Parts: sequence; C-alpha cells; structure tokens
Amino acid sequence: MRTSLVRLVTGLAVVAIALVAALSLTGGVAAAQPAERAPGAAPAPTAQPGTAPRGTAPRIQIVDGAAKPAAAPAAGTPAPRIEDPRARDVINSNGPAMAVLFWIFALGMIGGAIFVITRRNMIAAVMGMVGTFFAVAGLYMMLYASFLAVIQMLVYAGAIMVLFVFVIMILNRPEDEPWGLVGLPGKILAGIALAYLTFRLGSLLASVKAPADALLAPPPVVVPPGAPTDAPTLYDWGSTAGVGWNLFNEYLFPFEAVSILLLVAVVGAIAIARPLKADDDDAAEGDAAAGEAS
Amino acid sequence: MNSVVTHIGYGHFLVLSAILFAIGVVGVLIRRNALIVMMSIELMLNAANIAIITFARMHGDVGGHSFALVVIAVAAAEVAVGLAILVAVFRGRRHIDVDRMTTLKY
Amino acid sequence: MSFKAADLIYLLPLLVLAVSGMLLVLAEAFYRGKDRAALMGLAVAGAVAAAVSSIVVYRQLAPGEVKPLLSNMLLADRFGYALTALFSVVTALAAMVAPAHQRAHGWVHGEYYGVLLLSAAGMAMLALAGNLVTVFLGIETMSIGVYVLCGLRRRSRRGNEAAMKYFLMGAFATGFLLYGIALIYGAAGTMAFAGIEDGKAFTLAERLVDSPNRGLVVAGILLLVVAFGFKLAAVPFHMWAPDAYEGAPTPVTAFMAAAVKAAATAAAIRVFAYGMGGDILAYGNFGWASPMVVIAAVTITLGNIAAIRQDNIKRVLAYSSISHGGVILVGLAALGLGSGTAQTSLMYYLIAYSLTTMGAFAVVAYVGSRDNERLHIDDWAGLAARHPAAALAMTVCLLSLGGMPPTGGFFAKFYVFKSAMEAHDQQLLWLVIIGVVNSAISIYYYLRIVTAMYFRDSKGAFEPSRSAPLAFVMAVCPLIILEMGVMPGFWLKLGL
Repeated sequence: MRTSLVRLVTGLAVVAIALVAALSLTGGVAAAQPAERAPGAAPAPTAQPGTAPRGTAPRIQIVDGAAKPAAAPAAGTPAPRIEDPRARDVINSNGPAMAVLFWIFALGMIGGAIFVITRRNMIAAVMGMVGTFFAVAGLYMMLYASFLAVIQMLVYAGAIMVLFVFVIMILNRPEDEPWGLVGLPGKILAGIALAYLTFRLGSLLASVKAPADALLAPPPVVVPPGAPTDAPTLYDWGSTAGVGWNLFNEYLFPFEAVSILLLVAVVGAIAIARPLKADDDDAAEGDAAAGEAS
Repeated sequence: MNSVVTHIGYGHFLVLSAILFAIGVVGVLIRRNALIVMMSIELMLNAANIAIITFARMHGDVGGHSFALVVIAVAAAEVAVGLAILVAVFRGRRHIDVDRMTTLKY
Repeated sequence: MSFKAADLIYLLPLLVLAVSGMLLVLAEAFYRGKDRAALMGLAVAGAVAAAVSSIVVYRQLAPGEVKPLLSNMLLADRFGYALTALFSVVTALAAMVAPAHQRAHGWVHGEYYGVLLLSAAGMAMLALAGNLVTVFLGIETMSIGVYVLCGLRRRSRRGNEAAMKYFLMGAFATGFLLYGIALIYGAAGTMAFAGIEDGKAFTLAERLVDSPNRGLVVAGILLLVVAFGFKLAAVPFHMWAPDAYEGAPTPVTAFMAAAVKAAATAAAIRVFAYGMGGDILAYGNFGWASPMVVIAAVTITLGNIAAIRQDNIKRVLAYSSISHGGVILVGLAALGLGSGTAQTSLMYYLIAYSLTTMGAFAVVAYVGSRDNERLHIDDWAGLAARHPAAALAMTVCLLSLGGMPPTGGFFAKFYVFKSAMEAHDQQLLWLVIIGVVNSAISIYYYLRIVTAMYFRDSKGAFEPSRSAPLAFVMAVCPLIILEMGVMPGFWLKLGL
C-alpha cells in the first residue's frame, strides 16, 4: 500500500516535470493557441441554431451581453496562420508541445489501465484507475471538450473512485489469487483472438477518414437570439455554455430520462445494500420506521 | 521527426480508445475479483467515451458531448448498483471471487 | 428545437409509468402496513393506466404514421405504442405475482413495485426509441432496475449470486453496446435514426451507406450484434441467463423472461430495422443479418439441447427462453432480408411469448411454499390431482411454448417462420427447417413436465402460495393465449 502510493507520487512528479519541460521547450500552450483562431472575421451570424461553419468565426466573442474582460484580449489577436499546414492538426499544435502532451497522457492512460488489471492490491488498482481518469481528462481537453474534462475529473476520479475505495474499506481483504488461471489454454486462445480483433479494430480506427474541414478549430455553438434584432450568441465549442445549450435543446429527453435511471439506482442501491435485520419479515416493519426517520 | 509522432490526428485518439477498450475486456476476462471486474468495465465505458468525443470533434457535433455526459451519469448509476450488489454478496459469503460463485450450477 | 405541448400526449404512457414509479418509491418510504399489498394495487393501477394511455395514443395514430419527437429522440408510431401497452400489461402481471411469493418466501420489500415500474419506463423508452442515445438510456434504465430486482431477496445467497452474475454480464454488454454506438456515430455523424439537418432530411442508414469509413460501420454493427446477443441471451452470450433466471425470485424471473426479453427485441428492431434498415446494411458488404442468422441457428439448437438435460423447472424455462430468443433472431433476420410480414409476426410472437412465459412462471410461483420452492420436476409429480386448475394453466402455457396448435405459441412460431420463408431468395429456408425440427424436439421437455403433473403420484401435500391476484394471472394468461390461438387476426394487425 505505502509503496504503491510512493510510486504514484513519483509518477505524478515525473509527469509534472515532463509537462513543465514540454511547455518551456516550445513557449507553452499559449503560444500554440493563436493558430487555432480563424482569420479575424466578424462572426457570420447564421440564423440556424446549432453550430456555425468551421473557421468562419472567432471562437468566443459574445458572452451574455455583460462584458467579460477576459474575452477582449482573445478577440484582439488575429491569427492568419490557419493556412499553415502545420496548424492543420487535430489538437492544433504547431509545435511538438501538444504532441508531447498527448504521448504523456496516452502513456499515463495505458499504464494506469494496465495497473488496474494487474494489481493484487485493490487500493493500488484504484490509484491506477484515478491516473487513467486524469489522463483521459487531459485527452478530452485536447479534443476541445473542456467541460467534459472537468466532469470526468469530478465525477469519475472524484466520486466514483471514492465509492470504490469505500467498498474496499468494507471488504478489507486481499484477493486470494488475482488471476483466474482455470482453463488456461482457452484463455490463451481467447487472448490471441482478442489481440487480433484489437489489431483489426485499431488499424481500422487509425486510418479513419475525417471530413475535409475536421482539422480546423471546431466552430462555435450558435444560440439564436431572443429578439430577432439581436445578434446570435456564440459559445465556445465544448464549453459549459455550449454543451449546456445542446443538452437542454437537442438532448432534452435524455437529460430528463436519465433522472429515472438515477432514481432507480439510488433506490435500488439502498434497498440492496441496507443492513440485514433479524428477519426479513421484521425488516419490513423496521424499514417503514427508517423511511420515516430519513 | 516522424510525423506520426509529432502530428496527432484523429487516428491517435481512436487507437488509444481501442487499446483502452481491449485492456478493459482483458480485465473482465482474466480477473476473478468482482471489484476489479467492475473497474475494468468502467475502463471499457471510458474507452467508448473517448471515441465518442473524438468523433464529436471530428464531425463538429457538440451533441456527442451531451451523450458522453449522459454516459458518465449512467456509469455512475451502474457503479452504485453494482457496488451495492457486491456488498450484498460479500455479506453472504465473505468473498467476491466470481469464479467461486457456483451455487447456481445444474 | 420545437417542443409543443400537444406532443406531450405522445409521452403520456412513459410519463404515467415514470410518475407512478416515483409515487411508489415515495409510498414505500412512508408505508406502515406489514405487507405491501396496497402498493401492489397502486403499481397495477399505474401500469394499467399506462397501458390504457398507450392504447389511446395508438388509436390517435394512423397505421404507418411515424412522428419524430423531441429532436428525433423518440419515434411515435403504432408499433411502439402496441409494445408499450404490452410491457405495461406484463408489468402489471409481474406486480400481481409478487405479493404471494414475497409473503411465502419472506422478502417483503415494497421497493419491488417502484423499481418494477421505473424499469418498465425504460422499456417504454426502448419501444419508442428513435435515436441510439434513447436506446442506450432505455436499456440501462431497464437493466439497472432488473439487477436491483434480482438482488432484492437479500437473504438468499442464490439471489445475490444471480444479481452479481447478471450485473457483471449486463455491464460488460453495455460496454460493447456503447462502443458500437460510438463507432456508428463516428461513421454517420449522427445518432438519430432519421431527422432533418440544415433543412435536409436524412436517415442513419443513408448516412452509414454514404460514409467514407465503411470499416467503422461493419465494426459498429458487429459490436451492436454482440451487445444485443447478450441482452437477448443468444447462444455464445447466454451463460448468464440460466443462472440469473434460477437465482432471481420467481416474479422477477417472470418479468425478466417476459418483459426484458421483449424489450430487448423491441430495441433490436428499432436499431436494426429502423436505424440500419435497407438492403445494403442488412446484407451485402455490411450485413447485420448474416451474423444474426448464424447466431439464431446456434441459439435455437443449443438452447433446446441444454433444456433437455435440466431437472430444475426454472432452468428448463430459462433454456427454453434462450431457444425462443433464437426464433426472435430468425424474425429479425427475416426483417432485414426484406420480408414484408416480419414485423407483424414478431409483434405477435412477442405478445404470445411474453404472456405465455408470464403464465408459466406464475404457476411456478404458485406451487412453491416457504422453505420449499418446488423447483425440481419431481416435486411437481401429481400436481394435477391436487390442483387441477394450476396444472391445466401450466399445461396450456407449456403447449404454447412448445408451439402446439390451439395456442398462441403455435401461430407465433408459424408466422415468424412464414415470414422467414418470404425473405429474399428464400435464403432462410434452412433456418426455418432447423427451427421446425427444434420445435419438435422442444415438445419432449415440455411434455416431461406435463407428464409429471398428470401421470405421476405426488410425494407429499402441496401447500401453494394462494392469493387472488396470482390466481388472476394464472387464469388470464392461458385464456389470452388460447384466444390468440383461436382468433389470431386481431393480434396480427398490431405491429403496423
């Protein structure tokens, strides 16, 4: 337990050092930023709700009328380098900094995942899982999914893994034998089949053909104005406002329906995991009292 | 330097998600501890989420983000119920080894 | 987004199920009585109201009319509402089976009813799904509810084990489902089955066919087939089903076998026929029908062979339900291969199969008593002499499961196989032959139970779990099955 924590801390330190090194090497992420901005044209107000065409508008301009000082400098730096082929990259790097970050996150993610499935100690596995989730959040950031990156950290690393740790505390016993080695030949066969399938899937995914404009910066989310005379509001793609607008329009039904699912989960988890009473018939009475107390 | 290393494309993210998915499947198949099996399933869901967000970026469709958010909520709900079942199983037999759960056989 | 208040009527069945589920959860928290029979009444009222409202909406829609709702998340059509009515009725029946069993076996938990109705709301989402997102959410709502129901009998080690196995397998399948959805989304750029974007109408199938990433389409379809194979308990992915069916409390098993399987079928029809229909996606280069045909053949055969070896009635019924899942896959494949009647046949099949299974498990719940669930076939010896009505109900249900003529089960199999014969180029002929041969084999193990009930002497007195609602279920299911068998015309028109 202690050794794995030490290893974890060391790993995090290494990642942090590598991060700083990578950033200082190339002038940092901020320097890479202007490339993703389209030629400083005025927002082309398409009345169509949804997302504007790519590369036609600055990424964030109008935020809810109230002037946000932070938005001003972003608008002030025009970026003519969009035609630079090096800028046409999925994570919009025009230098190795983003690539280095990607590989760090990739290694962290894979390493953490392998840690999860090989550790005998369950706490160690959970720590590997947390590492994986942080790396995944980093990848989300690179894909312009900033809101989801934060949610990933809050919900997965923050809430779900804590739940796992609580249950490990309740169980409090190490695994007798971590590997199910019964039927080894079958498992080797399954492993070969799985490796082959993963290879096929991987080669398929590696050669995925993206639409022609997919390497440009993502378009802003266009929210139609309340009054016809106003300009439409543009939100950063993948920002809280952008995702929220989509969530309450296109995804209204799933958003509401997920509440049913959460209710089932809450009620069900309590119904199953609640402590046993002397007899289930008696427990039925005790339950009514417990329900009143809560 | 090699452009595969320096220029990160959609393929990189997708292959990464495929590898993560495969690791999750392997974990489900080889581990006997139900808790680790559940964690491996979480890895699979995360792999799918990475793929969804990559595709959302690729198609410029912010709807993929909303779906990923829904998936995270579903995963949390599933974990809650799964851990409750796990606690109930542990209460009855003091272990959570899936290979030793053989009361229900013929 | 256009959301009109008038559209709310199309959501009515779903809302009724969800709201009555929530009310039941609240009622359980404040309920003071010793047994939960009043909750059962509320649950039945909610489910029946949902069934009635789906029939009302059903009658509002013209045959063949499909209304997309809520940004293409749902599709309102007659097919969906007929299925919603079926799920609601089966839910009501599952609620009615429960009180007697709960009292007899000491697991009086009022949560059963709330979770039951909420999980039925998930099924309604599946029946009306118009988007892969809704399919995913519906499957999860339904499955999580059923995992909980499986584990509700908390003192039973078998119940816990069943819940654990079902949960792990179901969650594993969810991973495949989600990855499949992700790949389909990647290929098409949308998850809606049909809709309008930038003023142009599109369908998912068109987008997939035109997609530059055909590999993604193939891989996504394969992953979806695997995921639905798990949910339908088709053969390479069936290992959880017998254990989960045996270990779960009998009313829950009835719900799983009758409603969950039907809902999974509904989702498969929505995804494959509505989402990825058309010639090119069903066969040819892509082909979701081809793996399905193979799985169907294996499922029907192995399910039957395994059922012959079982002595536990719940396991016999579990394997029989696996084998029936194979027949459902035959219908799905026929639907993909251009058979015009496949959808109505499947609808008929689902109604007949659900009610039959529900009836059979109701009798199983009736026969057992405290500390003696009477699940072994030998325990049923001489039932007919002591309880002729129960034995008769079970016989009708078993004959229907075996596909014997005067029952709905006969026409169900008949119509599905007939629609399979109509598939393009008669390429499903061999599958039909396998199916018919297997139906003949299956008679053996069904008749084994019938023989035990009628022609053997009982070893001891039966102390069945009597209750009026249970008796109602045991009476009404065989009656509807017989009615379906005698006059199938009405039921065949529902799937349009």
